[in-house]
Amino acid sequence: MSLQNAIAGIVQIAGGVLLSPAIVGLIQHTKARMQGRPGPSIRQPYRELARLWGKSTVTPQPHTVIYLLAPAVSAASALMALALLPTAGHALDLGLGHDALVLVGLLALGRFALALAAWDTGSGFSLMGAGRELMFSAFVEGLLLLVLLLLALPLGSTDLVSMSHAASLSWVSLRPAHWAAALAFGLLILAETGRRPLDNPDTHLELTMVHEGPLLEYAGRDLAYLQWAAAARHWIVLVLGCELVIPHPGPFVAQLAVLAGGLVTLSLALAACETMQAKMRVLRVPLLLGFGSALCVLGLASWFAGGAG
Amino acid sequence: MSRDRQEIVRALSPARTLAIAPQRWRAECERHARDGWRFCGLFAGAARQPRVSCILARGGRELVLRAEVPSGSIETIVDLFEAAGFDEREAHDAYGIHFDGHEPLRPLLEHPSDPAAWTVPVQGHDPHQVAVGPIHAGVIESGHFRFTVVGERILNLDLRLFYKHRGLQAAAQGRPLAEGLSYAQRACAACAVTNTVTYAQACESALALAPDAHLRRARTLLLELERLYNHLGDISAICAGVGFAPGSMAFAALKERAQRLNRRLTGHRFLFGTVGLACSELRIGHVDARAARHELRSLGDEVRALWRELRFAASLQDRLGGVGRLSRDDALRLGAVGPSARASGIQRDARRESPRLTYAAFTPVSPAKPGGDVAARLDVRGLELEQTLALLDELLDGNLTSGGVKRLSGPQSEIGVGRVESPRGETVCAVQHCKGTVVRFHLRTGSYTNWPAVAHAARENLLPDFPLINKSFELCYACADR
Repeated sequence: MSLQNAIAGIVQIAGGVLLSPAIVGLIQHTKARMQGRPGPSIRQPYRELARLWGKSTVTPQPHTVIYLLAPAVSAASALMALALLPTAGHALDLGLGHDALVLVGLLALGRFALALAAWDTGSGFSLMGAGRELMFSAFVEGLLLLVLLLLALPLGSTDLVSMSHAASLSWVSLRPAHWAAALAFGLLILAETGRRPLDNPDTHLELTMVHEGPLLEYAGRDLAYLQWAAAARHWIVLVLGCELVIPHPGPFVAQLAVLAGGLVTLSLALAACETMQAKMRVLRVPLLLGFGSALCVLGLASWFAGGAG
Repeated sequence: MSRDRQEIVRALSPARTLAIAPQRWRAECERHARDGWRFCGLFAGAARQPRVSCILARGGRELVLRAEVPSGSIETIVDLFEAAGFDEREAHDAYGIHFDGHEPLRPLLEHPSDPAAWTVPVQGHDPHQVAVGPIHAGVIESGHFRFTVVGERILNLDLRLFYKHRGLQAAAQGRPLAEGLSYAQRACAACAVTNTVTYAQACESALALAPDAHLRRARTLLLELERLYNHLGDISAICAGVGFAPGSMAFAALKERAQRLNRRLTGHRFLFGTVGLACSELRIGHVDARAARHELRSLGDEVRALWRELRFAASLQDRLGGVGRLSRDDALRLGAVGPSARASGIQRDARRESPRLTYAAFTPVSPAKPGGDVAARLDVRGLELEQTLALLDELLDGNLTSGGVKRLSGPQSEIGVGRVESPRGETVCAVQHCKGTVVRFHLRTGSYTNWPAVAHAARENLLPDFPLINKSFELCYACADR
């Protein structure tokens, strides 16, 4: 195990676990500033997690083990996904492999666990949110697969480490296919992080909730797990964006710097996008995601029209 | 006496009251409906025996039809005036009067536990009910909405209000007329001025008193200050309904500025305690008036700049068109009032018929596209803000001194009716008095009138669009519940 692999592992697992709430905090803080409010501090998500951690849990009646397991499954799948993420063409080998398709599956598992929990308790708002989340995910997952496929083409592998390596090669970033994938990935970031115009994380209007809906039933430590998992999702998709999409040539340390800069820049971009956009009509979301898929198909066509490079 | 003067005296004379035999009740109501009288409220009471009264309006005149109901049962008029639906249900729950032909007469004040007792049955393939409230995730007043939906589509919406019923009207009974003012004010904070002015006008009209120019100007000023901060808040709420943060934050900040101005001018952010019966103690000196005028002009500039930004915010505009449509026919049928009615193309505004206030040559606004949707309701508010700012600028020209009333030559009457345009629509108040004490006082606010229109407009829309539709009407719960 080389030093770089060890560093990559520490960055993703320790960084993902500890720093992902800071990303959410940074987005909230920047958003508030852009809207002319002082806003909460960047540390606010940590305070909230600490508060929830110390609270007792209330469970709705009736419920089964499905409801009780959902926070653990959701958090565990996010943790597993962190272990798969590459850093600058390196990753810690835990014997799990680093396949992009496994990552897609893990993201889906977290969503599925929460949706099942909503069905388990049968709460109206949870079900409504979960139903919408599943409707979106039918399109999001297809788009995610297409984008990953497109990004896997240069080196012909869905291994995330080699895909990360591919993005550091200069010829790859000259291909139109790469930028088609980049645009589509932008949409994916919005969808996976549950932000406007697709979802509104700040809303208190139960009827409009998507991701927040199924969380309404949870309290205390369970809610802390789920909120951490939502923050970790931010980390996962933003890291993927930095590693697979943003070109990052150069030595290992320079690539690490690109990752750090990319995370901050993408967070600020998310905040700006959230501030400028209203939430879109819920039935138009598939159309937007379909637009992303069309971009991917164009990218594929350009790739094959351009030959193997 | 000049012709104009005669006109004014006629307009200021109290509402006529017609006592009708119970068996003639429906026929009389029908005759007046044919003659072009508009329904403005129905209320019951019980002195020696139960009675019902119906308030009608035509032009600037009001008429009260009343009938004793010794048998406790009278023919319904809900098929003549669909707007009487809530009123008859309330009269039944509060006074036990049965309205023959109003079938089924669903409870309104009463909250039976069985949903079938108060919701409209919906049959078909796979509809299910979604219950929202009375406790909401945000800071929202108590109201319960029961949607019947298929997927995301709303088939029907049943409202359950009156969680905030405090019995204010009954509590005011037996109190001196001047004391009743505080009961009217407590109905709702956001409409405190409208409710008290309406009550005061009802009392003054019954006592054959006419406000002098100072009193008229003071009340008009207060009403427009109330409209200003309410409309700013409503625009902010519509933006919040679609998660458009720049709009909601900026207009919320403007509302705050308007409320601070309220406090500087009157000592209260919600303008509480500013309206008196037959008098006005509100005094604003030259310097303060000029400062307020200056502040309002700078506020107006900011409103116009922000309004332009809203118009060019594509993601916001995309959400508004065609949502929550209330057609002109439906608005007329349900008796909708206020900005919601004007957004559906009905040129109805009580300010037009307010001889007791200073709205000379007032024309209600009409939006460019009166489609009755959320976009039109937002548009009306933007136009009315301009109008209100212009009115306030005029009203704050020079100092304001305390005002009083003049005695009219006509006789006093037992019942007086007041009608004032609130930020949410026409508010009607009837006061029956006996030697200066309240016998019965009935407040029918714009919110009360418009709630059925909200339920109607929600149909055939997407469930996640309902908060937006609701916010585009932005009705109060408390002043409907009283």
